[in-house]
Amino acid sequence: MVDKTKSNGKPGEEKTYIKGLGFCSFGIGSNVAQVDVKDGKVVRIRPLHFDEKYDPKEWNPWEIEARGKTFKPSMKSLLPPLSLAYKKRIYSPNRIKYPLKRVDWDPDGERNTQNRGASKYVRISWDEATDIIAKEIRRVHDKYGPYAILAQADGHGETKVVHGPHGCQTNLLKLMGGFTLQVRQPDSWEGWYWGSKHAWGMDPVGKMGPQTNVMRDIMQHTDMILFWGADPETTTWGWQGQMASRLCYHFTELGIKSIYICPDLNYAAAVHADKWIPVRPNTDTVLHLAIAYTWLTEGLYEKEYVATHTYGFEAFRDYVLGKEDGIPKTPKWAAEICGVPSYTIKALAREWGKKTTSIAHCNGGSYIRAAYASEPGRMEVLNLAMQGLGMPGRHQVTMIEWGLFGMHTQNPLPRSTCIPDPYKAYRGYFLGYFPKQHIPKTLIHEAILNPPLKWHGHVMAGMPREDQFIEFQYPVEGCSEIHMIWTDSPCWMTCWNGGHRFQEALRSEQIEFVLAQHPWMENECTYADIVLPANTKIEEEDIGTDIFSGSFNSIFYEGQAIKPVGDSKSDYEIVCEIAKKLGMYEALTEDKTTDDLIEAGFMHSGVQEFASYEQFRDKEYVMVPTAPDWEDDPVGLYNFWKDPDNNPLLTPTGKIEFYATGLAEHFPDDDERPPVPHWIPYGETHQESLLHPRSDEYPFLIVSNHPRWRVHAMHDDITWLREIPTCKVKGADGYLYEPVWINPGDAAKLGIEDGDVVELYNERGGVLGGAYVTERIMPGVVYQDHGARVDPIVPGKLDRGGANNLICPHRTTSRNAAGEVTSSFLVGVRKVDLEAMRQEHQEAFTREFHPTAGLVFKAQLEGEK
Amino acid sequence: MKVFVIDVARCNGCYNCQIACKDEHVGNDWTPYAKPQPDTGQFWMKVNETVHGSVPKVKMSYVAMMCMHCENAPCMNNCQPDAIYRREDGLVVIDPEKCTGCMNCVDDCPYGVIYFNDDLMLAQKCTGCAHLLDKGWSVPRCVDACATDALRFGEEEEFKAEIAQAQVMFAEYGTSPRVYYLNLPKKFIAGTIFDPEIDEVLIGAEITCQNEKTGEVFKVKTDNFGDFWFKNLDVGDYSVWIEMGGYLTQTMEHISTIKDVNLGDIPVYKEVKVAA
Repeated sequence: MVDKTKSNGKPGEEKTYIKGLGFCSFGIGSNVAQVDVKDGKVVRIRPLHFDEKYDPKEWNPWEIEARGKTFKPSMKSLLPPLSLAYKKRIYSPNRIKYPLKRVDWDPDGERNTQNRGASKYVRISWDEATDIIAKEIRRVHDKYGPYAILAQADGHGETKVVHGPHGCQTNLLKLMGGFTLQVRQPDSWEGWYWGSKHAWGMDPVGKMGPQTNVMRDIMQHTDMILFWGADPETTTWGWQGQMASRLCYHFTELGIKSIYICPDLNYAAAVHADKWIPVRPNTDTVLHLAIAYTWLTEGLYEKEYVATHTYGFEAFRDYVLGKEDGIPKTPKWAAEICGVPSYTIKALAREWGKKTTSIAHCNGGSYIRAAYASEPGRMEVLNLAMQGLGMPGRHQVTMIEWGLFGMHTQNPLPRSTCIPDPYKAYRGYFLGYFPKQHIPKTLIHEAILNPPLKWHGHVMAGMPREDQFIEFQYPVEGCSEIHMIWTDSPCWMTCWNGGHRFQEALRSEQIEFVLAQHPWMENECTYADIVLPANTKIEEEDIGTDIFSGSFNSIFYEGQAIKPVGDSKSDYEIVCEIAKKLGMYEALTEDKTTDDLIEAGFMHSGVQEFASYEQFRDKEYVMVPTAPDWEDDPVGLYNFWKDPDNNPLLTPTGKIEFYATGLAEHFPDDDERPPVPHWIPYGETHQESLLHPRSDEYPFLIVSNHPRWRVHAMHDDITWLREIPTCKVKGADGYLYEPVWINPGDAAKLGIEDGDVVELYNERGGVLGGAYVTERIMPGVVYQDHGARVDPIVPGKLDRGGANNLICPHRTTSRNAAGEVTSSFLVGVRKVDLEAMRQEHQEAFTREFHPTAGLVFKAQLEGEK
Repeated sequence: MKVFVIDVARCNGCYNCQIACKDEHVGNDWTPYAKPQPDTGQFWMKVNETVHGSVPKVKMSYVAMMCMHCENAPCMNNCQPDAIYRREDGLVVIDPEKCTGCMNCVDDCPYGVIYFNDDLMLAQKCTGCAHLLDKGWSVPRCVDACATDALRFGEEEEFKAEIAQAQVMFAEYGTSPRVYYLNLPKKFIAGTIFDPEIDEVLIGAEITCQNEKTGEVFKVKTDNFGDFWFKNLDVGDYSVWIEMGGYLTQTMEHISTIKDVNLGDIPVYKEVKVAA
């Protein structure tokens, strides 16, 4: 890369760059920030004030008037702490400084695949590394063919466009004949995707599709919002910033009641809830059923709407009333299972039945990504239908991913004239491209350990409902099984299903070569054979957008703020270096420079319609005006409510299906996702319920939300976050452990005190954590965020970092639904005798760690401690 | 004169203020305003979080603590080298070049917001980002980073209305802080009323709460979930009565609000009419 930092400010002077510090990746940007640099170092990261270079009149700021109050979006970007503290990530002691080779991996001899995760690394040059990689790619191609290379081209991370968006290796591999694609499943929305879609269509996401003007309608008409398994103060941060927080405060100012239904007093409930209803993890279906029972027996539902807008109500009614299985789904029956008192269930049902109510969602958590998540996902839709979904104030509103997939219909806030998309500059994996062979991300370990496999659907976020009925297999006829993995998103084991089993798969002889490229020495990097240092976006020149904030969209030029740290290169440059050794450089780059790509990106972004490239480069950001006619967009499902026949949904009947006709047709015998949603505590695929005998041994259900102080696996090394009480708990050995929330009553029974090191365990292994004894979690349930960095004590068995996905189920949502199950599973909890464990596992416990930042790069080097 | 106004009710606990302070002052040397803040363990702007109550009546509060920039600043009284000065805009600053590390100010500050930097042998604290204000910034970093307007900064006159309703920390010390707090958390007593015989919450039950020492009385009715909340109570001992037509009155005494109180789900029973 041309070093453009030389043109930076004079010595001692500050120069400011604009950077998008959102962490969705896939080219979908947010959290626009200003980065001030002096003498080659980042001085500070701060919000962008939109009016710094423009008069607000130039972009037509919107306002929403409702109930005598006005809601105005902020004139600055509402950064989360994850963006503000990013300087620590850039200069982390865990940055990979130079290319590495695993000491006992010899491509010309013993590969010692069984030592991945245990053996250390030595420095090699870029030249040597790219030579080895090119030779291995050629060898694998010659021996097995191109499909033997698995591209893990995926995962959330820094959002970049030209440089290092996830998947730039796919462009090279595609030119060389193909590859096997790891397909990203619709994660964090499992229940909506695998369940709700069969009740109401709603492609591509599964959540309520037309969100247009829903926020204004809620402000005008809604009396009560059920934040069901939703945390607008957490999951929103890395995606879009803190607008959701301001909305929650505004709801309260308008007199709208906020009810939080979740096992944990999540971060939004802690400050916004008018009422917290703790429900045991993954028993929400039972709570929904008892609410429906109350409505049915008390006549508290929209009978005419049900008659005209839905299909198959009778079958559902018979199940709820007990005519199908002899069990009426009464509040008393439900209370035993879900832990909510029956009198509270009835009170909630009547409030919902009488007041104008919407449900708000924020992705993630036990409600929507547990075993059989399709069932609560569908139940909610049916209950919304019983209360006249689409009528004023009655919606399912999304508090996250506003404008997902570049669709205005995914945004409940006022529409912008365009959602800028610099796709012409994008050098990552294009969502929607499928090579001949693919494997769902949730099945990678099974593909390696247990082939052949069959499953249904592409298992990619955004595919239509019908896709779930297509059967696929691995290996595809004529394609090889995978023998090489190339990952640029090495966080599978701490974010996906059955991480310990994935570690086992990575140690398989079947996988001859694992190549990882990443800025930080974490997670799968320590299981790779060659590790290449990628740099962060602060070190690169790029183009960016902010399209998720809910306030105003913008597009910006991201100058190169500092020189690359260590010997790092951007992900795109890494692939280019490898392409050079394969004679593919010209074909890959098409002779386009970064400048060419940035200009092309801007000139096709949509913004070129009203702003020149010169203005873009001169001011470095362009604000996108609010659409002048935004107020005319129909509210949510208003048209469906008014005239369902002429505004059908994407279900086979065009109506809300209490009896899912598509499931009945394609999976008539699937008792894990039957046509009418059922309460399925356990079954053939999963036994993760307190009603199952496994709970005798593992008596707690764990809530594993998307993390508050990370985005999945990112940000775990930021010292300023790690000293926040809910971010890490300091153990007696000085190690900062991932908190495990335990109710004081349970802690007393287990002899656990605040600050003790504890182990969460089941048959799949154990992970450690630091006890955080708190009233923020209901009895019988423990809570630990997912995404902590893996720090193996015994690879495949026991982990110090607290990456609890290592011990979550490896099986998918249900028999025919390939989602991940990473929250609400059974664990035992015990206090750890640290000294005894240290004696038993001396090597792991003497591995160097930074007292405040945790894992360090040099601990993985041969010859270091 | 500059003031800070902190509305605790609008703080969502994101810690942006604490982080932005570190981003500005850790690793950056703003001499003559301030030398660098240590990476961890010291907080020129600190968020203190507290969990109140018990399941399911639980709330959290986040209270940002910083130098109060007192008009009568105790830290200035015993500073041997006379290193602490008040600027024209009211901000109190420790001159890092004059500070000799005698630590008197650390001991004298009643708010515990002056830290001693062992590596630099300096007393350090919030400067109000004076180095930025003097460059033309209108607010310090913590305020710029606040996403909810919980934290505000400006001229005293602009905030007259807020200051009229605000509290200061430890007013009794007579330090006259320039940091004003709105909605500092007080104590609550909460509960849920239900009739176990019919398995229903009781809506509209009249709950009375009396401070046993002052005699002050508060009344609320249970809402549609059978819940009641007495918020903003002082620390003290309280009595609570539950009254509902047709039900036996229940009384609970000597309820201490040293900690917030969840009385739990309280069963109440119908009056039984005994035949004459």
